[in-house]
Formats: sequence, structure tokens, C-alpha cells
Amino acid sequence: MSFNLEIFTPLKVVFKGSVKSVTIPGTEGSFQVLQNHAPLISNFSVGMIKIETESGLNEYSTGGGVFEVKKNDAVIIAQSVESKADIDLRRAKLSKERAEAVLKDPKATHVQLEDARETLHRAVNRIRIIENK
Amino acid sequence: MATLKELKVRISGIKSTQKITKAMKMVSSAKMKRAQDKIIAARPFAYKINKMLNELILNAETGSIDDLLNVREVKTKCVVIVSSDKGLAGSFNTNIIRYSSNYLAKLDPETKIITVGKKATDFFKKKKVRLINSYPGVFNDLTIDISNEIVNYIVESYKKKEFDSVEIIYNEFKSVVKQLTVKEQFLPLTGEEVKDGKNKSTDLKNENTDEKKKAVKTDYIYEPSLIEIIKELIPKQLKVQFWKILLESNAAEQAARLTAMETATKNAQDLLKILEVSYNQARQAAITKEILEIVGGAEALKES
Repeated sequence: MSFNLEIFTPLKVVFKGSVKSVTIPGTEGSFQVLQNHAPLISNFSVGMIKIETESGLNEYSTGGGVFEVKKNDAVIIAQSVESKADIDLRRAKLSKERAEAVLKDPKATHVQLEDARETLHRAVNRIRIIENK
Repeated sequence: MATLKELKVRISGIKSTQKITKAMKMVSSAKMKRAQDKIIAARPFAYKINKMLNELILNAETGSIDDLLNVREVKTKCVVIVSSDKGLAGSFNTNIIRYSSNYLAKLDPETKIITVGKKATDFFKKKKVRLINSYPGVFNDLTIDISNEIVNYIVESYKKKEFDSVEIIYNEFKSVVKQLTVKEQFLPLTGEEVKDGKNKSTDLKNENTDEKKKAVKTDYIYEPSLIEIIKELIPKQLKVQFWKILLESNAAEQAARLTAMETATKNAQDLLKILEVSYNQARQAAITKEILEIVGGAEALKES
């Protein structure tokens, strides 16, 4: 009752192994994938990825990316995927503060505001996952 | 002939220089290892994203998907030059600067330039070129955030049509003893087959399409839509491509420094050998002279 899952980020291969289910924070709403899912490619946004393996449930924070499943092979491609242990709370809090400062800055350009909003979103997501223990 | 004291000073001077070059060599070798590990870590991601993007673009079959894929008439080019922050790396920076200067000489003087690393920044600041942005000091603590920031800047400017194509000049890490200065197209996006670190230029749209279609055509469910997914993947592809370039350049820099420092250490060793021989000769000569003087003196006393 399991299928293969691989999670890739530019810094490392975060996860590789067989899982029972995976929950993805899709852009159109969160969804869960089980064995023998139809071929699917989906974007996902900032949020939490839940992976259920033989040994239990693991939660990862992500900054968004692309999910693909085909013939019981699932692949997650994302700029960042971090397990609870890997999240740097101090850094998340710092970037939250920085982003908030930019959002308050009246001189910030459109691009900067957009960036700051995204950064804030990701930082808040990380903090939430950590503090939800 | 130099006096004993002069020789002694020179020998101790060269010995301390040798200590420094030896230490630098060891530091470079450790840093190079780390840079190589990062390249290896980025490879699976780069490979996967490239493969997926290729498949999806084939499945899309429509003309214009994204600005970043479309080739438009090139009025202004942008050249990104990646150098290092620190010197003492053999011909690493000389090569990149010579290559870039030669290349720029052939282009329109309006060509826009972005420099990465202190060495190229310092050099091109003094030249009459259109330096639109520079990122000195990124290699001290090379993080993916800095790399992404540079990519964001390039992509934004490209979208605003400040330039119509982007090329990157950098030193590729071939092996410890070999670094190659290369030029790579960055925008508009062409598929760079990333396999085992070897880049093979292929055009995303035209490359043996039929064959690939048969192999990859799977009826996917797209969520929210094919185009949206491609749009999500393209910036990621660009980011990983640039990240890999920075890592390559960093590894190449360390390798160049490693080789340069090894040569320097060896040269110091050779010089020390020669100096030690002359030191011993001078010492012997001095002793012989002293004995002669004593013997001469004794002889003179005897006679009187």
C-alpha cells in the first residue's frame, strides 16, 4: 500500500523512499495522494507537506513548488522543503521582521513589496509549523 | 657572495612565505571539496526540473507560453561576468577578464554588463562600459538567497525589456588542474541538458520532437493548468541554472588557487634548496678562513 516519493531542492535531496500517503498544499486547495493515483502535475504554494510512512507522520514546511505523480512515482520539486528539525526559527523571525519593515516603507517599489509579501508568507508559515508542535 | 647573515634572513623569509602558501593550499582544498559537494547536491534537482520542463513544453504545443521562452529580436544584450572576490588564484581572474574584454570589444558598446565578484567589478568599474549592476563579495558566504536575488533582478529587467538576451561568462570547473572560461546563454531560456555536470546545448522546442513525444506523452491532470505549471517551473529552472554557475565558478576558483599555491610552495622549496647550499658553502668558507687565520697566527708566534 505504498508508493515512491522523492523531494528535490537545489540544496539537497530532502526525502527519498516509500510512503503511504502525501498531503500537498496545492494552489487550488490542499489534497492528499495515495497509491495508484492518476498521473497528475500540480503547483503548490507556501504551506505544509505531510508525509505518512510506515514509521509515522512527518511534517515539512515548503515555500511552494511543483508536484508530479505518475505510475506510483511521486516527485516534489521545490525551492525549499524543510523538516521541523531543519527550520531555522531565528532566521524565519528575522526575515519576518525585515519583510514587515519593507511593507511599511512608503518608498518601496512594487517589486520589493511583492517580494516582501512572499517572504513574509514563507516566514510566517515556518514559524507556524514550528510553534504548532 | 652574499654574507652569511643575508642568506639566513632570506632563508627564513622564504620559509615563512612557504608556510603561508601551504596553509592557503590546504584551505583551498577544503573549500573546493565543499563547493564540489554543493554541485553534486544540486544535480538531482537540476536534472529533474529540466526533464519535467522539457516534457511539459512538448505537451503544451502552443506558440508562446512565457516571455522568458520567446526569442525576440536582440537590440541590447546583457552580459553577466562571474569572477572571484579574492586574488592569488593563478590566472583565474585574468582569464575571465581577458575573455570578457575580447568578447565585449566585438559587441555594441551599449551592451549592458552585470558583474559578480569583486575582481571583475573593480576592473569594469574603471572601464567605459554600461555596468548596470554589480555584486561584489558574494563568494565569502555563498548562499542560494544571493543567487536567487541576482536571478530576480535579471528576470525583472528582462521582462521590462531593458535587454533582449542574457549571456553569462564564467569559469567552468573541469577538474582540479583544468578550468575553462565559458559563455552560456541564460535568457531567453534554452534547454540546458544537465547530466552529470555536463551541459549540452539543446533547443527545448525543436530537439527530435517526435521521438520525445512518443516517450513522454502521458495524459496528466494539470492543476491548475499546464501553462501555469510551466510558468512556475521556469523561474526555478533559471534559479538552479544560475546557482550551478556560481557553484562551478566557486569550485573553479578554489581549484585554481589550489594549483597556484601548490606551485608556489614547490618553487619556494626549490629556492630554499639552492639557498641552503650557498649558505653551507659560505659557512664552510668562513670556517676555513678562520682556521687558516688561527694556524697562520700560531705559526707567526712560533717563529718569533
